[in-house]
Amino acid sequence: MLQCIFLLSDSGEVMLEKQLTGHRVDRSICAWFWDQSLSQPHSFKVLPVIASPTHYLFQIVREGITFLACTQVEMPPLMGIEFLCRVADVLSDYLGGLNEDVIKDNFVIVYELLDEMIDNGFPLTTEPNILRDMIAPPNIVSKMLSVVTGNTSNVSDTLPGATSSCVPWRTTQLKHANNDVYVNLVEEMDTIINSDGVLVKCEIFGVVEVNSHLSGIPDLTLSFANPSILNDVQFHPCVRFRPWESEKLLSFVPPDGLFKLMSYRVKKLRNTPIYVKPQMSSESGTCRLSVMVGIRNDPGKVVDSVSVQFQLPHCVSSANLTANHGTVNILSDKTCSWSIGRIPKDKAPQMSGTLVLEEGVEELHVKPTFQVGFKIMGAALSGLKINKLDLKNLPTPAHKGFRAQTEAGHYEVRS
Amino acid sequence: MFSTTAENFSKASTMVLRIGTDAHLYDDPDDVSISPLLDSKFDSEKCEALKRLLALIAQGLDVSNYFPQVVKNVASQSLEVKKLVYLYLLHYAERRPNEALLSINIFQRDLGDQNPLVRAWALRTMAGIRLHVISPLVLVAVRKCARDPSVYVRKCAANALPKLHDLRLEENATAIVEIIGILLNDNSPGVVGAAAAAFASVCPNNLPLIGRNYKRLCEILPDVEEWGQIILIGILLRYVIARHGLAKESIMASLGPDIFNSEKSGSESDSSYLEIKKTYEIGIQEPELLAMVSRSYLAGQDKYLSHLDNSDVISSENISSQFTSSKNDENVKILLQCTSPLLWSTNSAVVLAAAGVHWIMSPVEEVSKIVKPLLFLLRSSDASKYVVLCNIQVFAKVMPSLFGPHIEDFFISSSDAYQVKSLKLEILSSIATDASISLIFQEFQDYVRDPDRRFAADTVAAIGLCAKRNPKVATTCVEGLLALTSPKSINSTSGSMDDDAVVLIQAITSIKDIIKQDPTNHEKAIIFLIRNLDAIKVPVARALIVWLVGEYNSLGTVIPKMVPIILKFLARGFPSESIETKHQILNAAVKVILHFKGEDFHTARSILSYVLELAKFDLNYDVRDRARVLRKLLSCYFISNGLEENADNNEIQLLLAEHIFREKIKQSTEMVNNRFYLPGSLSQIVFHAAPGYEPLPEPCSLTESDMVKGLEEPSQTEDSNSDVDSRSLNEEGSYYTEDSVTASTGADNESAAIESGNNNADPLINFSDVGKPQEETNDLSELMSKGALESWLDENDNPGSSQNVAGIDSNASISSARISIGDISTRIKPKVYTLLDPTYGNGLKVVYKYSSEASTISPSLVTVDIFFENCSPDPMSKLSLTNEDSESLDQGSSLEPQKDVPSFVPMEEITILEPGQTIKRVIHVNFHHHLLPLKLILWCNDKNHPVKLRPDIGYFIKPLIMDLDVFSQKESQLPGMFEYTRRCSYTDHLAELANDDKDGSESSTKDSFLIICQSLASKMLSNANLHLVSVNMPVDANLNDASGLCLRFSGEILSSSFPCLISVTLDGKCFEPLNVSVKINCEETVFGLNLLNRIVNFLSEPQLTS
Repeated sequence: MLQCIFLLSDSGEVMLEKQLTGHRVDRSICAWFWDQSLSQPHSFKVLPVIASPTHYLFQIVREGITFLACTQVEMPPLMGIEFLCRVADVLSDYLGGLNEDVIKDNFVIVYELLDEMIDNGFPLTTEPNILRDMIAPPNIVSKMLSVVTGNTSNVSDTLPGATSSCVPWRTTQLKHANNDVYVNLVEEMDTIINSDGVLVKCEIFGVVEVNSHLSGIPDLTLSFANPSILNDVQFHPCVRFRPWESEKLLSFVPPDGLFKLMSYRVKKLRNTPIYVKPQMSSESGTCRLSVMVGIRNDPGKVVDSVSVQFQLPHCVSSANLTANHGTVNILSDKTCSWSIGRIPKDKAPQMSGTLVLEEGVEELHVKPTFQVGFKIMGAALSGLKINKLDLKNLPTPAHKGFRAQTEAGHYEVRS
Repeated sequence: MFSTTAENFSKASTMVLRIGTDAHLYDDPDDVSISPLLDSKFDSEKCEALKRLLALIAQGLDVSNYFPQVVKNVASQSLEVKKLVYLYLLHYAERRPNEALLSINIFQRDLGDQNPLVRAWALRTMAGIRLHVISPLVLVAVRKCARDPSVYVRKCAANALPKLHDLRLEENATAIVEIIGILLNDNSPGVVGAAAAAFASVCPNNLPLIGRNYKRLCEILPDVEEWGQIILIGILLRYVIARHGLAKESIMASLGPDIFNSEKSGSESDSSYLEIKKTYEIGIQEPELLAMVSRSYLAGQDKYLSHLDNSDVISSENISSQFTSSKNDENVKILLQCTSPLLWSTNSAVVLAAAGVHWIMSPVEEVSKIVKPLLFLLRSSDASKYVVLCNIQVFAKVMPSLFGPHIEDFFISSSDAYQVKSLKLEILSSIATDASISLIFQEFQDYVRDPDRRFAADTVAAIGLCAKRNPKVATTCVEGLLALTSPKSINSTSGSMDDDAVVLIQAITSIKDIIKQDPTNHEKAIIFLIRNLDAIKVPVARALIVWLVGEYNSLGTVIPKMVPIILKFLARGFPSESIETKHQILNAAVKVILHFKGEDFHTARSILSYVLELAKFDLNYDVRDRARVLRKLLSCYFISNGLEENADNNEIQLLLAEHIFREKIKQSTEMVNNRFYLPGSLSQIVFHAAPGYEPLPEPCSLTESDMVKGLEEPSQTEDSNSDVDSRSLNEEGSYYTEDSVTASTGADNESAAIESGNNNADPLINFSDVGKPQEETNDLSELMSKGALESWLDENDNPGSSQNVAGIDSNASISSARISIGDISTRIKPKVYTLLDPTYGNGLKVVYKYSSEASTISPSLVTVDIFFENCSPDPMSKLSLTNEDSESLDQGSSLEPQKDVPSFVPMEEITILEPGQTIKRVIHVNFHHHLLPLKLILWCNDKNHPVKLRPDIGYFIKPLIMDLDVFSQKESQLPGMFEYTRRCSYTDHLAELANDDKDGSESSTKDSFLIICQSLASKMLSNANLHLVSVNMPVDANLNDASGLCLRFSGEILSSSFPCLISVTLDGKCFEPLNVSVKINCEETVFGLNLLNRIVNFLSEPQLTS
C-alpha cells in the first residue's frame, strides 16, 4: 500500500508531503528522484514506476506538478498510478487548474482532501460528488465570506448520505429548479498516414458525456440507433451491466453534473475528413517543403480550427515558410505550427518554403511527422447515433438535449 | 446572479484570487507566534495556528515541539479544528507517544458520538497513532465500529485493521482476523472492498476465510468500489487456484501433451485434449516460454528454476498438479462471469486485474476477450499506458496470435514516450506473422527515418529480431538494413554523427545476427559491407565488419579471393585504426591464417607477422598484449600441426592453442533469463520480486480438511510447500504447518511457540477485560486512568526514542573478533541507595543495594541487601522493617499476587545494634513488575520512620546465560517492533585511560580497548542484573578507534521469563567521549523501552567515584 505522497513543483521543490502509514518516508527520496530525473532528462521523467534504492516510486506529471507516491511492498502499480491521476483530477477540479501557486495557496484543502481520499495507504473516498459534500471547494463567494466573517471552515460537519447509499456516486436529496439533461458525443479521431500517403490506422475514440441536473433519484435509459458498432467500451460505474449485455441499452442512475457515461472506440475507419499532403525534397544543403491541406470527404458540417504542427529536425538551421492561407509560426524549440482555421471554399491552403540545413549536411534523411488538428461541431464521424433517452422516476418532466462533435486526436501524417 | 458577478470580479483581478485562501499561511507560516494562538479560546485562531503548523509540516520542518498544545485542542467541538488536529497528530504521534496518550480519552468519547463522521475520524486517528500500549483499546473500538450502523464507519474500521496488524502484537492477531471475517460478510459492497484490502495486507494466506463467503464475494464484486475490486479479484483468484486448481482448458494448463496423456479419466479428457491441441497449434508459438510463464506464476518457482535445463522433468512433475474445468466447475465459472463486466471498467487497474484472471483461468478460446479492453487502456494516461504495455508484452510473447489482428494499435505515435515506443516495437516484432510482416516493415521504414535516432536504432534492432523469427523475410530485411549502411544514408557531419552512428552500428549488428542464422545465403551482404568498409568511419561499425571478414573468410567463392586484398588494405591502415578495430584486425588475420592453405597461407602469414609487428609497438597496452599472446599461441599451434619444426614442446600451451583455434570450447546454450511475475503486479514492472510479492498458491493445496480447520483457527496460514509428499499428507488432513516464507507469518510461528508462556505470565500492563467485545467506552476510560499505566508514564521521562533503528547491528557479528576482558567481578559495585539518612534517623544510617543473587523464596522476587549502621554513640535496639499499612503486618497476605502495591518478605528483627556496628539483612521484594516505590516503616527503638525503597528496573531481570550463537538467533527472532535503539555518550573510560597512562607509563600499557570494555561492562553489570554474553571488536579495527566495539548482554524478565537482549555498540575515538548505541530486543516492548531508558540514563551519567 502507498506509504507517502509528495507533490513536487516544476523546479523540484517539495510543496507537500502526506505520510500515510506509520512507515514514514523521508523527503530525501524526492531529492534522489529529482537528481535522477535531471541526470536522465528524457527517459526518466516519463517512467511511471521507478525502483529507487529504498522505495518503489509511482509518478505522474500533470501541468508541471509531479505527484509522487512511495511504497515498499508489492501492490498493483496501476492502482497507485490511477489513484494519483484521481488525486490530480480532484485537485484540478477543486482549485480550477493545477500550478505551484494554487496548490500552495490552498494547501489546507489539499491536505484535507488527501486525508479523505486515502486512509492507511488504501483509497477511501474518491468519488468527486461525495468529496464535494465533505470538503467545500474554494470559490470566490466563500473566500469573500471568510475575509468578512473570519469563518474559514470548509469542512462539512455531516457525513454525506451518499456514503451509505447503493448509488454512492449520487448526492442524495438533490433538488433542481430546472430539470435538464444533456448528452454529448465527443469524439477524437486517431489517424496515422504513412510516408506513402497510405492510411494505416484510423479510429475514433469517443466519449458519451452527460451533464445532468435532475432532482431526486432519476433512472435513465439511453439507446443507440446503431449499437452494433460499439464493441469496445468502458463504462462509468453507474451503468448497469445486464441491460447492456442483453439489449445494448445504457441504463443508469446518473451522478449530478458533468460526467463521462461511456467511452468507446470504433476502429478501422476508411475515411478522413481532410487530407494533408507534405512533400519534401532536399539537395545541397537546402530542403524544399510544401504542405497541402484540403477537404477530402465533406462531413456535411464546417471543419474548423484546422492546424498543422511539426517539429523541425535538429539539423535544420533556419526555415523560411509561408502560407497562402492562415499564419505560420516557428517557435524557439523548433516547433513549426501553421494555423489555418476554416478551410476556404475557393482555394486549397498551402504552406511552402525552404529549410536551410546545417553546414555540412547535404541531405535531410530524417523526416518530421505532421500533427494535424481540426474540430467539427455537430457531427460524430464514427457514425454513432443516439436513438432516444428515457427518463423515469422524475417528479417533473425534464428538458433533454443532444450534441455531437469530433476533434482530431493523435492525427499524424508522416512525410 | 450573485455568482456571475462574483465570477466577473474574479476575472477582474488576479490578486483577489489569493484573498481568502491560505496563501499567506504557506508563505510565512511562522511570522506570528503560534503558541498563543493554539491556546486561544476562539476556534478561528486555533484554526489559523494549526494551518500554520500544517504549512510547516508541508515544507518539511519539524514542529513536534507544539505537540502538547495541539493535543489539548483535540477536545474542540469544531470539526475543522478536530480535522486539523488529527492531521497534525497522525504526523507526529509516533514520536511523542506519551503526549499522544493524552488524546485517547477524547477519542473514546468521540467514538460514542452521534455523528458518524466524528466516530469515523476518531477511529481513524486512534488507529493511526500507532502506540502499542493502546492497541487493546483500538481493537475494542474497531470491534465496536465493525458493527456500526454507518457504512462509512464500518469501512474505516476495515481500514483500521491493517494499522493494528502493523503493530505486530501477536495477542491481537486472532481478533483481527475474526473482525475481517465479520466485515467480509458485510452487506455493503463498500465495506467488503475495504475488508478485502485488510485481508490482503493482514492474512493473505488465510484462504479458508474466503471459502466461507466465496460465492457471495463473487456476486458482490461488480458493486464493490473500484479500489476494492482490484484487491478482491486477486484474492478470489488465489482462492480458486488453491481450492480447485487450474482450469484444464486454460492457457496455463495447455503446457504440452504429456499432461493430458497421463490423465487418468479417459475419453472426456481425450476430446478436450484434441480441442486444445488444435488451438494450441494456432495460438502458442513457444510452448517452452509458456511453460516457464505458467510455472513462474505458481508457487515453487525456485525449484523450477533449478531444473531449468531439463524440461522433461518439469512437465512430468507438472502432471501431479491437479486441474479443474472452467466450463464445468461452478466456482471457476462464477469467477469468470463476475469479472467479465469489470473489463469495461474505467479504472485501468481493475481492467488489468480482471484480465489477469481471464488470462490464467479462462478457456483458451475465450482469452481473446481480454484483448480489446487491454488495448483500450492504451488511450488512458501516459503512465498507465506504460504499465499496460509491459503486461501486454508478456501476453503477446506467450500467445502472439492474441494480438495479431491488432497490430495497428502498436503503431507508434510521435507523442509516445521513448519507453512506450520501445515496448511497442518489441511487441510488434513478437506478434508479427507472415501475413502482417510486410505491413509492419512498412511502418518500420518510417520509424527508421524518425528524428529520434535512438528510437531509429531500436527499430533496426527490431527488424533484426523479426528476421530471426521469420527466416522467410530475412533477405528482405538484410536488403533494407544494407541500404541504411550505404554511404549515401550516412551523414558525415559532426553534429548528428553520434546519433547516426548508433543506427549504423545497430544495423550492422542486426545484419551480423541475421547472417549468423544462415551464412551461405547472405554472402552478398558480406561482400556489400566489405565494399563499403572504406566509407564507414564509425570505429565500432568498422570493427564489426572486420569481424565478419575474419569469421566468414572461407564462405562461398568470392570472399576467399577478396580476403587477402582486404587484409593487406587493413594492415596498411593499421596504425590509424581505433583500438577495437585493431583488435578485430588481429583476430581476423589469425582466423584467416587458420583456414588458408598453400600460397594464400604464406601471403596471410606475412600480413599477420606485419600486423603483429605493428601491434608490438602500439600505444595501447591491450593491443600490445594481445599481439604478444597471439604470437606465442600461434607458434605453439604451428608446431603441433607440423607447420614449423623446432623448439620446446609445452604441453599446456599446446592444449590451450588447440582449444582456442580449433573451437573446442562449446558455445554455452542460450539461457532464457526472463523472469515472469503475475500480470498486473509491481514485480512484473520492476523485474524483480518486490517485498511481499507472492506467486499464486499451489493448485489444490487447500483441501476440505484445511477449510474446516481454517474455520476453527482463523489465524493459521496455509502450507504452500510444493512437495508431492505434503500433498498426500494434506489429503489425510494431518499435515499442517505454517508458511514461514514471509516475515509476518514467520512471526506468527514464533508467537505460537511462546503463546503458552504468555497465558500464565503477568502482563506488564494489565487490561483485564479488553477481550470482551461489548465493552462500554466509559469502562475503558476508567481502565485507562487506573494506576498501572500512569505509573509507567511517570517513569518514562523520554521515550521519544522509540523510533526503530533497524538493522544497526544485524551484521555486526560478521566480521568481528571476540575479546576476553577477564574477570571484572571485583569491579562490579552495585549502586548504593540511602533508605534512611543518619540526620533524620537519630544516627541510624540505613542503605540498600540491589543484589544480583536470585531470591531463594520465589523467582519473581527481587533481592535487596540492606545495611544498618549505627552512627550514634548509643546502641540501638529492635530494628525492623514493616509494610506501611498496619494491616499488612500479617505476613501471609503480603505476597498475594492480586495486590498491585509492592510487598516484601519481612526480615529478621535486629535486636541490638552497637555503636559503629553494621549489620546486613536481606529482604525479598515483589514489585509486581511495576515501578511503584515500596513504602516501608522502619522501626527503631520503638520509633517509626516512614521510608521508601525505590525500584530499579535493572533488577527486574535476572541473568540469562547464553552464548553468542543463541544470542544472535534469539535476536533475529525479535525484529522490528521488538527492537528499540537509543544513543548516548559515554565518558567514564576517559578517567580510567588517564589513570592507566599515569600508572603504566613505564610498563606496557593495557590495551585501551580492554579498558573501555571493562569499564563499560562493569558499569552495565553494576546497574543491571545481566549476563555478559560476549565482547566483540571489528576485525579491521584501527588503533584508538573504538568504533564497532560491541558488548552483548542477556537477561530474563523476572515476572514473565521473556528473554531480554541488550547490545551496546560503541562509536568514536578511544580518548574522546564515545557514542554509545544501546539496542534492546525484548518481546515485552514497554518493559524493554523502560529498561533501555534506564540503561541510557546510567551510561551517560558520569562516574562519581573514581
